Amino acid sequence: MKQYDIVIVGGGGAGLYAAMEILNTDISLNIAVISKIYPNRSHTSAAQGGANAALANKDKTDTIEKHIFDTIKGSDYLADQDAASILCEEAPRVIRELENLGTPFSRMDDGTIAQRPFGGASSPRCCYCADKTGHTILQTLYEQCLRLGVKFYNEYFLISIEENDGVCQGITALNIQSGEIEIFPAKIVILATGGYAKAYWNRSSNAAGNTGDGIAAALRAGVPLKDMEFVQFHPTGLRKSGLLVTEGARGEGGYLINKNGDRFMSNYAPEKMELGPRDLVSRSIETEINEGRGFDSTAGQYINLDLTHLGAELITKRLPQIRELSISFEGIDPIDEPIPIRPTAHYSMGGIDTDKTGRTIMKGLYAIGECACVSVHGANRLGGNSLLEILVFGKIAGHEAALEAKSLNSVSISNSIIDKHKKYFRSLMQPSQYERYGVIREEMGTTLAENVGIYRTEKNLIQAIYDIKKLIERFKRVKVNDTSTVFNTNLVNVLELRNMLNIALAISAGAYARKESRGSHSRTDYTKRDDVNFHKHTMFTLSDGNLDVSYKPVIMGKYELEERTY
Amino acid sequence: MEEQKEISFRIYRYNPHFDKKPYYDNIRITLEKGITVLRALNFIKENIDSKLTFRAFCQAGICGSCGLKINGVSKLACMTQVFKELEDSKEENVILIEPLNNFTIMRDLVVDMDPLVEKLKYYYSWVNPKMPVHELGKKEYLISEEKFQEYDQATDCILCASCVSECLMMEVNPNYISPAVLLKSYRMNVDERDSMQKTRLKKVTSDGGVWDCTHCYKCVEHCVKNIDIMKGIQGLRNSGMKTVSKRSEGAKHAKAFITDIKRKGRLVEFTLITRTLGFIKPIFMLPMMIKMLLRRRVPPPSFMMSEIPRIEKVRKIFRKLKKKNF
Repeated sequence: MKQYDIVIVGGGGAGLYAAMEILNTDISLNIAVISKIYPNRSHTSAAQGGANAALANKDKTDTIEKHIFDTIKGSDYLADQDAASILCEEAPRVIRELENLGTPFSRMDDGTIAQRPFGGASSPRCCYCADKTGHTILQTLYEQCLRLGVKFYNEYFLISIEENDGVCQGITALNIQSGEIEIFPAKIVILATGGYAKAYWNRSSNAAGNTGDGIAAALRAGVPLKDMEFVQFHPTGLRKSGLLVTEGARGEGGYLINKNGDRFMSNYAPEKMELGPRDLVSRSIETEINEGRGFDSTAGQYINLDLTHLGAELITKRLPQIRELSISFEGIDPIDEPIPIRPTAHYSMGGIDTDKTGRTIMKGLYAIGECACVSVHGANRLGGNSLLEILVFGKIAGHEAALEAKSLNSVSISNSIIDKHKKYFRSLMQPSQYERYGVIREEMGTTLAENVGIYRTEKNLIQAIYDIKKLIERFKRVKVNDTSTVFNTNLVNVLELRNMLNIALAISAGAYARKESRGSHSRTDYTKRDDVNFHKHTMFTLSDGNLDVSYKPVIMGKYELEERTY
Repeated sequence: MEEQKEISFRIYRYNPHFDKKPYYDNIRITLEKGITVLRALNFIKENIDSKLTFRAFCQAGICGSCGLKINGVSKLACMTQVFKELEDSKEENVILIEPLNNFTIMRDLVVDMDPLVEKLKYYYSWVNPKMPVHELGKKEYLISEEKFQEYDQATDCILCASCVSECLMMEVNPNYISPAVLLKSYRMNVDERDSMQKTRLKKVTSDGGVWDCTHCYKCVEHCVKNIDIMKGIQGLRNSGMKTVSKRSEGAKHAKAFITDIKRKGRLVEFTLITRTLGFIKPIFMLPMMIKMLLRRRVPPPSFMMSEIPRIEKVRKIFRKLKKKNF
């Protein structure tokens, strides 16, 4: 049986950076990237804003130290300070490396990489390529991996992580194109499968595939997850699709209007109005809807983002993308009509528990990017730090894995695992199965959005846990109608739902247990941050099918706890 | 309540394991204004036929997964409004959904994208860094706005393959480089951080490369990101003429065109073949030539063709171009 030194699962920015770094470190290593889509389609491409790095091109007084402090403060002091330091220290190097490899960064007049201000940052340090930063970074990394001859297995879906006595042996995956289950024995597996905010389904800005496959597989393999309750909401998602309308629309002077025609932000942030911090604006919109001042529609309640007073010229010149999105996805031209919006889940801070090198507790298993929780974002991520995280920890984990691989013993996976998976897939196709995956998925998204959304309270969280446990029961009778082996997306969708249900339970259980408000986690019954009892990471493990919640201390450094005000 | 309509989706279906040949399904659903084609397909998959197979991912026009032919035209399903599309429907309230052209169909609306990836590799579609590995990440290149503008637009490409699907040359020659890979080649070749312009250009200007483009402009017309792909193709041809491929068939063909226009104001097709391919290769084309002769499809030789009226005006253009160093 063929054996790999390193298998990377996931072909987004983190996975591709790791692949590139591995081969740059040791070209003789036998590696493969396994991805459920073509890597250049990955969700990294959707990141528009940019990546933070204290290059001091724009503001000569900017320093790495300021970047570290901004990140820790932004995390509401839940970030591990050693990891946050590494993130910011390595930032200039990875951004310059990408630049050297062809990423088309926007430029300053002197030809250096341009930088712009971003939320929560004390200096303009966000490096960008117009509004397509993630897209161009992903293209650059994919191009470089093609150049280095990385072996890709495209359209393979991760089923399980195999271990023996706490040592990772590799993975199994479904070849979507052929329907075969294949074994990939590997001394080292690096998970880079992305985030889980799609568990909120239609209340999420995420791609359809951000279903937390690697996170759920790690949990099933006995690897702990961390801080799963922290999910960031963006204030202005389109009503029907949840897609983002960037902050720029409000920056240019857009109003948020409720059913009564009021600019309600005057009640929440009388000075800053629509330009208050992201979590505050999200909470305000949610309050308006909860108190009955939202508009009704078949696609749910919403609030209007009104740009009509800005005039056709400004909208077409400065907000062309927003206009295109509104027309394409809502059928509404913002020049003539207000845009229907509501807050949308768009980033998951939690994930697989790793140390600052990307290692998990299972020997040979690494996790990087949004699927990992290092943790650098703590309770709230700063804009521009997510692209940065995938680059820095992709590089670090790639380097570490390349050095480690040679020293590890060979591994093996028994063929019997294939039959086990096959049997499970066949059971889903039996005539006795009857539950519809689309219905369960919709209900999961609804209960998460309603009960584990921006505002959380004990009663609602109990409801969410109850609902999700019931959905997990119903999932046992879920039906896969498509019995074909070739490109069975029905089966893939059902397996993704299984992963999301695991994760939905972890989000809810973590939120229930955390009786305080910190960062993105706002409890209406515990409105204050409680450092005495909850300045710690939530840990999740699976034992006998039950999810256990425990805690682990935050790694502190030179920054003491302070109140977070802006 | 928003405006609603009952709409028929006529969808191309084919599962190589079960179906001898492809067929079309008619699925009727009621939709309200503002729904995209992708949302309609998702609705059908979740509620009517879970076997319907298509690719989709970001749903926001940036990943390039959901390229399809909608009413015969290649575009992204996620960026296409159903109600708007109805305006172009041949039959009232019917929308035709088919897989992209010029690819092998794997199932229903899913096509095999591997040939495109192979071409990206074959034509070195990457920046080959000038710096050695250990120097990477130490300092930035300084890049002027002017240089940046040369490749900025080309980096918008999301490889959705709409251009590949619409390309007429791809239909004739599946091994043709394709508009998407031409654009990538151009983008890499104008990047000063790259170190293999010549090697890449050599490949791009050989058989099946940039000279095979027929200027139908369909790629430009159908690019979902409105990229001027032809600018890239022209750019590659210009650099090709100047450096590696003065003697290539494509370059000779282009030169023959220019000479004819200068001399006669129109093409002298009679000798075009020998001027492009020389005298050996056309021998293999003799059967076709004889056929053409019999059907009286042979163009007249040079001495029988007169100059067009007012040829002076054409020559004036050439003189002007020469002054500008073209």
